[in-house]
Parts: sequence; structure tokens; C-alpha cells
Amino acid sequence: MSNKLRNGLCVLAAVGALLGARTASAELRVVATTPDFGAVARAVGGDRVSVEVLAKPTEDPHFVDARPSHVVKLNRADVLIEGGAELELGWLPPLVEGARNPRILPGAAGRIVASTGIALIDVPASVDRSQGDLHALGNPHFMLDPLNAKVVATRIAQAFCALDAPGCDAFRANDAAFAAAVDAKMQEWTQLLAPYAGQPLVTYHVSWRYFASRFKLRAETFLEPKPGIPPSPPHLAEVIGKMKTDGSRAILVEPFQERRVAEAVAARTGAQLASVSQFPGGVPGTDADYIALLDADVHAIAAALASAQAAASPSAPGR
Amino acid sequence: MDLLTLWLWPLLALVLLPGLLVYLGLHVVERGVIFVDLALAQVAALGVAVAILLGAHPEHDSLPYAMALLFTFVGAAVFALTRFRHLRVPQEAIIGIVYIVCAAACVLVLSRTASGDEEIKNLLLGNILLVTREQVLQTFGLFTAIGGVHFVFRHQFMLLSFDLERALALRMPTRFWDFLFYVSFGFAVTSFVQIAGVYLVFSYLIVPAVCGALLSARIGARLAIGWAVALAAGVSGLLLSTQWTSMDLPTGPTIVCVFGLLLVLSGALAVVIRHRETELSAVGAVPAGAEAKLE
Repeated sequence: MSNKLRNGLCVLAAVGALLGARTASAELRVVATTPDFGAVARAVGGDRVSVEVLAKPTEDPHFVDARPSHVVKLNRADVLIEGGAELELGWLPPLVEGARNPRILPGAAGRIVASTGIALIDVPASVDRSQGDLHALGNPHFMLDPLNAKVVATRIAQAFCALDAPGCDAFRANDAAFAAAVDAKMQEWTQLLAPYAGQPLVTYHVSWRYFASRFKLRAETFLEPKPGIPPSPPHLAEVIGKMKTDGSRAILVEPFQERRVAEAVAARTGAQLASVSQFPGGVPGTDADYIALLDADVHAIAAALASAQAAASPSAPGR
Repeated sequence: MDLLTLWLWPLLALVLLPGLLVYLGLHVVERGVIFVDLALAQVAALGVAVAILLGAHPEHDSLPYAMALLFTFVGAAVFALTRFRHLRVPQEAIIGIVYIVCAAACVLVLSRTASGDEEIKNLLLGNILLVTREQVLQTFGLFTAIGGVHFVFRHQFMLLSFDLERALALRMPTRFWDFLFYVSFGFAVTSFVQIAGVYLVFSYLIVPAVCGALLSARIGARLAIGWAVALAAGVSGLLLSTQWTSMDLPTGPTIVCVFGLLLVLSGALAVVIRHRETELSAVGAVPAGAEAKLE
């Protein structure tokens, strides 16, 4: 009986070893917290990685509901890519703890914090969390600046190289290709938005600050009174007044934000709504493709600014 | 395999912790103050909400737990003081009012914080899936202590819940024992709310006790049935959400729905048993079969 048991255990151990060996030589299993990092990881990793994303593109990246599959994915991951700067503070740490996977613990080679190496903006001098400040380390929505996406891609390529040396050349080539594709598009995007230089954008959250500064727009008016605090009637009244004086004519709305609030403000100011997303897949036709997403966002914002301008001065279209 | 590696602590939480809740649920159901647990859980949640407003982190700081306890004690005192025998205002009305005012106050308080809606959802639904080793062990220790108190004073507590008339005839200090009951109850509810949320606490307290009451008149049997139901719902709910289906269901709500299903099954079983009993007693035979054994 005990011999049989021992034999059985040996077989099990052999199968386990085989499985372990197989996975070691197979593609890197990458988990990204949000779809933007997932898209860049796919672009860099190519067919040497398999990428899974925890947050849905239509989900608020600050608040993601924990699901059983999240723990399973993290448990099996070789690499975890997070935005950092406290973007995922509310939900990622308990998931990682539950996943019991040393490969992706903070500081491990498999843990990529995308915000390291990015010059974060809006770093508060002091933080009073009771006043509802989500971003104590600075604004974590840096991926909407395409040049930051290039930095993140290079960082991901380095981390992949450390974990899969034979694939390093491929990762570097893919990183270079991604950078070239971004550079090519940057010209087009800059030209599209150039006519609106200096114009204000109204956004729900502080998520478009990097985008605005890259494309010489201003994103200084927010429907939220403070990052993370839902819009209150007095604050919205203030926003409406401000929009009337500074001539803001475009309001950006993301899939998980209260569209009705933006619509109410637009109705009182004559502003145009632009449906945009921080994440590939958040607006139609942008699935898992960072460049397609930026393309859609830039076009949506340009269109909103153009039609608002036309409405403001119907006799003299285009300024 | 995942069950014992990834889901070990949620599994242990669902195996070890409901024992006390099911027992307390028997009392609550017998007293007819069904919603007292929902109300106390909501009072505890309001305490957590206030702590969050004061800047505490719901998982890493001790302030939320302390605030939850403090609020719960106040709630316990209110419920102990409002239990009268003859009254124009039923106690359920007070309990309902406490519940709804605390729920609304939670929304008010959390609307001032950065993650209000999410926190409300967390308080209601909890996150049994991500329970930690420390949480399970600490709560189990506390539950054992509360269970000990209830065991030592079982006569008083039983009399108070199951035969109030006699307790009064014996001139027991009922307010004192009521307060002690609600305090121990509040400790248990507060601790479990932190782990599993308001919905799951309510389910664990009420559904097993009701299943037991449907199937048996004896307290011992009700307790046994309740424990079986709680264990079945917790473990199968966890397995449903993690292993058996690929639907990736959130665990807490899955367990609550399994509870609902088990209650329906218990009801059906009770009908069958009663039917068979009357049939058998008509022919004077002894009840037999698996269903009768539950009796």
C-alpha cells in the first residue's frame, strides 16, 4: 500500500517537474493592472509573452473589484506591471498578498512599477487624506502623454530582458518599433491639436493633465471638487461660472464617469462633450492598442474643440 | 489544488467563523428581532465610515475597528433599552429606523471622502476572498472567547431569548443580560463585518437559524442543521465562485445566493417531512428515511 502511494507520489512529482520545466521555457506570463500597460506590454513582448489585464477598460483604475480570477492570474504571473504612484493603492496590495506569488512581490524582478522614471506632475506639498486626496505621490495618469508611454515601453523591455534573456533582442526591436510608431503619430496629433493651442479643457478627474501639457492645451477645471470627491452642486456652479469667463468649450468624459453631470454642465455652458478614454478598449475601435486609443482621443478632442469654436463664432469658422 | 493554496484562508474563515454566528442567529430568530443584526452591522459600518472620514485606512489602521465597536456598543444599549413586553411601538420599528438612518448617514459621511461609493460597496459586500491569515486567526480567537461567555451563561441567555416570561418571573435583571447579549453579539457582528461585509453577516445569522427552525423544534437539532447549512453554503459558494464555474463570480454575493437556495430546499424538505409524518402517524408507523433523520 505504502509502496503504491510512494509510486504515485513519484509520478506526481515527475509530472510537476515536467509542468514546471514547460512553463519555464514558455512565454512570460504578464499581468497588467490596467489595459494601457497591457497594450504596451503586448507591443514590447510580442509572441514571447502572454498578457492579461485586471481592470476592464471601462472601469475606474482607482477602484477595481477583486474577483477570484484576479488572484489566480496574479498567482501564476511571472511579471506584474502596475502604474504605481498610488493609482492602484486601493485594490492591488490585498490582491497581491492573496496571490502568494514571490515573483511579483514589491522589489522582485517581476514587479514593474511604470511610474518610476516618469517625471510626475501635481505632487502635493502636503496631503490631507481626510479632504479626499487620491494622489499623494503626484498625478498617476501619465500614460496619456505618448512620450511617457515610450519611457514605459523601454522600462518594460528592460524588465523582460532580465527575465527572458534569449528574447532580449526581440524585446529591444519591438520597443524601438513602438517608439517609432509613436513618433510618427506624434506629428499628426500635434498638428491636429495645434489650432487650439492654449485652449482650456474641462475634465471630470485630473486624468488629462499630462495629455494637455504635451499638446499645449490647458486642463485646469475639474468637475470633481477634489480628486476622487464626487461633484457637488456648489462646485459645479463654480465650474459653470469659470467656464463662462474663460470660454471653456469642451468637456471630456470617460466611460466610468457620470456622464449626466457633464451633460448638465454642457447644457448650461453650451460646451461640447468628447467621449474619451485613458484605456485601450474604453472607446470603440481601440481594443488593446495604445496608438489607436491616442488616435481616437486626439480626434475626439479636436472635433469637440472645432465644433465648439464653430458654435461660438458661426460667421468665422476656424478662428 | 488552488483551494488549499490560494483560497486557504477564505476557506478557513468560512469553516471556522460561522459557528458562533449560527448560534447567535438562533437567539435572534427566536427573539423575533430579525433585523437587529442588519441594524447592528450597519451601525458598525457607520463607525468604519466615520473612521475613514477621519483619515484612517479601512484595513491597515485600528481606528476603524475601534470606532465600529464603539458605535456597536451604543447600538447595543439602544436595543437593550427598547425591549419591552407590551408596547405600542414594536421593537422592529426602532431597529428598522436605526438601520436606515445609519445607512443614510454612511452615504453622507462617505460622500466627503475620495472613494466613497467604493467604500460603501466594500462595507456592504466585504471581501471574503482577500481575508488574511491574521484576520482569520484573530477573529477566531475572539469568537472562541465570546462562545465561552455564552457557554458559561447559557442558562441566562437561553431563558432570555426563549422564555422571557419565566425570566421576568424569576426577577432576572433582564436589561443587564440583554445588554450583555447585544454587546457580545455586537463584537461578533463587528468583527465579521470587517471580513465579510453586511450582507454576508446577515445571511450567516438568519438563514441557518431559519432552516433549523423549519426542520426541527429542538434547539440542539436546529443548531446542528444550522451549522451544516452554513458550512455547505460557505464552502460551495467559495467553490462556485473560484473553481466550479468560469464565470468569475464575486464570492460574497455568491454565498448569499447559495444561502437563498438552501433555504428553499429546506422549505421543500420541511413540507415533505411534515407530509410523511402525518401519513406515517396515520398508519402508526415509525418515521424512516434520510429526511426523517434530520429531525
